[in-house]
Amino acid sequence: MAVCTIYTAHSLNTTSQITKPIKPHFGSHQKQQIFLFTTSKRIITTTPSRALGSDISCVAEEQKTIVIGLAADSGCGKSTFMRRLTSVFGGAAEPPKGGNPDSNTLISDTTTVICLDDYHSLDRTGRKKKGVTALDPRANDFDLMYEQVKAIKEGIAVEKPIYNHVSGLLDPPELIQPPKILVIEGLHPMYDSRVRDLLDFSIYLDISNERDMAERGHSLESIKASIEARKPDFDAYIDPQKAFADAVIEVLPTQLIPDDNEGKVLRVRLIMKEGVKFFEPVYLFDEGSTISWIPCGRKLTCSYPGIKFAYGPDSYKGHEVSVLEMDGQFDRLDELIYVESHLSNISTKFYGEITQQMLKHADFPGSNNGTGLFQTIVGLKIRDLFEQIVTSRVGALQSAKA
Amino acid sequence: RMYVRARAAPEGLTNKVEESIKTAEEVCAGDPVSGECAAAWDEVEEVSAAASDARLKKKSSDPLEEYCKDNMEADECRTYED
Repeated sequence: MAVCTIYTAHSLNTTSQITKPIKPHFGSHQKQQIFLFTTSKRIITTTPSRALGSDISCVAEEQKTIVIGLAADSGCGKSTFMRRLTSVFGGAAEPPKGGNPDSNTLISDTTTVICLDDYHSLDRTGRKKKGVTALDPRANDFDLMYEQVKAIKEGIAVEKPIYNHVSGLLDPPELIQPPKILVIEGLHPMYDSRVRDLLDFSIYLDISNERDMAERGHSLESIKASIEARKPDFDAYIDPQKAFADAVIEVLPTQLIPDDNEGKVLRVRLIMKEGVKFFEPVYLFDEGSTISWIPCGRKLTCSYPGIKFAYGPDSYKGHEVSVLEMDGQFDRLDELIYVESHLSNISTKFYGEITQQMLKHADFPGSNNGTGLFQTIVGLKIRDLFEQIVTSRVGALQSAKA
Repeated sequence: RMYVRARAAPEGLTNKVEESIKTAEEVCAGDPVSGECAAAWDEVEEVSAAASDARLKKKSSDPLEEYCKDNMEADECRTYED
């Protein structure tokens, strides 16, 4: 978004603010009525309108789109997290209208999610021939990924390829317009240092322990074999990205049921890095203390196996972090409002917003355990980050003018 | 025989999952630590994820909602803001 101030020669007191996004989409430049060119100081002046007796000066802030990286194993497509995130901003996420029916992109009013599988340099047959998995950096085009994410961040629309998950082929590209918030989701959002440096916030979803067989639709042996076969590449290229993430959501087996092997009850940890600009970690009761909390009691009835929270400072991959953990699952939503009222720094706009968001999407996977709760919290944190970045830009802009 | 639970997935994809599992088992029988073996299992992962997505999409659709998308003026679909 560019903020322009128009001064007309006739009446100097009519100062209008144009806050329409100006998209310098190369190629269509010449056809536009208002001709814009940018100097190194990022001042845009219009040539033809000067002849009409007006002078337009724009101060375009250099980075318009906020970029969020979301790393998850085979995360593209399902994207419950994405739907929770867009819901926080209001509005639903939908695939681009009228395009490729197998497009992986999701668009809402504020947010666009692109799937990084679209940057595969080798298609399914190509990977097979070379004997590499999709996890292997050799099967991905990081140069193109960097160029296009950088362009979108600078407010330029791009023609992004589409990796078709049904056919396993690379389809003709689709046009991606720069949104307010761009989420890049997939296997390697934090792998390439150039792409990593473009991210305003990064999340790693560690769900490697949670594999739903019924959902995958094949037998236990084949799932085990698949995990085994992909593990070396996963450990070499995907897992190390955790160290760069600002927030990690870890899904682990419960500790409330001894020797649980059903995997229905989950222990979910939200690991939040300290000292990240515009991101203040959530805490329980008292910031920086170590707390274990069982909300079930006189004020709250829980069914077996109950709910247990834990909070405390820790270190993770060489970083100082705060960890919030939830073990167990909600049976009723009044439990959630009770829990929400004891959490601080959650960046809600009104009391009960987390509960309301969770209620809205009660049918999404993870809505009754820590996965849904922490995804919602991270969504609120991203909204807060977005608003703080916008505010700081406007502030910088005004002080630059003054 | 392998137990495959994939009722609502599109025919083609379900067959493809079975097919790719078979291929992966054959490829890995020769050399279980080769790149070819990993690539074959990776394909299983990708195809089954696509199939599960397709299944989820199909399952979540409400028949009345689907009908109303195309027939907004029908008696059972009309909604007024006030």
